[in-house]
Amino acid sequence: MHRYETIFVVNPDLSDDETQNVINKFAGIISATGGVQLKLDDWGRRRLAYKIDKFSQGYYVLVDFAGSPAGLMELERNLKIDDRIIRFLSVKTGINVNVEALQRELAAKAKPVEEVAAAPEGEGSEAEAASVPAAAAVPDQEPEKTPEE
Amino acid sequence: MAIIPKRKRRPTFHRRKVCRFCVDSKLLIDHKDVNTLRNFITERGKIIPRRISGNCARHQRKITTAIKRARHLALMPYAASMIQG
Repeated sequence: MHRYETIFVVNPDLSDDETQNVINKFAGIISATGGVQLKLDDWGRRRLAYKIDKFSQGYYVLVDFAGSPAGLMELERNLKIDDRIIRFLSVKTGINVNVEALQRELAAKAKPVEEVAAAPEGEGSEAEAASVPAAAAVPDQEPEKTPEE
Repeated sequence: MAIIPKRKRRPTFHRRKVCRFCVDSKLLIDHKDVNTLRNFITERGKIIPRRISGNCARHQRKITTAIKRARHLALMPYAASMIQG
């Protein structure tokens, strides 16, 4: 499993429902190909730096996920086919990642700081020990460009 | 052969530029971070050379790819036209 980050730009003229449908469709493709979605970030409508297909705005969506190379190819194939997508870019952010460790890491990050401090000391040290090998298992890989459009 | 004396150059002052990404390892180069990348392009949208920006080779390379990726996503311009539109 590798970690990928895909940003796609959806047609800004779609209604909110339709935009949501598009996002769900691609999130579905990720899970259908055995990928695990780690983060979905909705940037909303943004001005484009230049016009693409006569659009001067675009609805940006970022998906951070772990999946197989074949899964990414399938996702990109569908992004290319779909008319509602005006641009997309995928970047590999990690090689051979441990999905469970990543999920734990993200969950820990989302947790407020006070909660961590309030946890009993015995548990805290155990959790710390557990997080060290997890971090070592996820080397900070150079982002590599994957085939785009 | 008479040695023609070279015209004396006025001493130039060099300020050694340091790569800001080497100085602070917390700074990361990311194609999503348009505000940071904007420091490395001219008003016309061209990438500023290493000679001027003072980046080291490694970080300049990263900046370049990041800017090119951002351009592809229309987060940054390929060329800023004088007349918008």
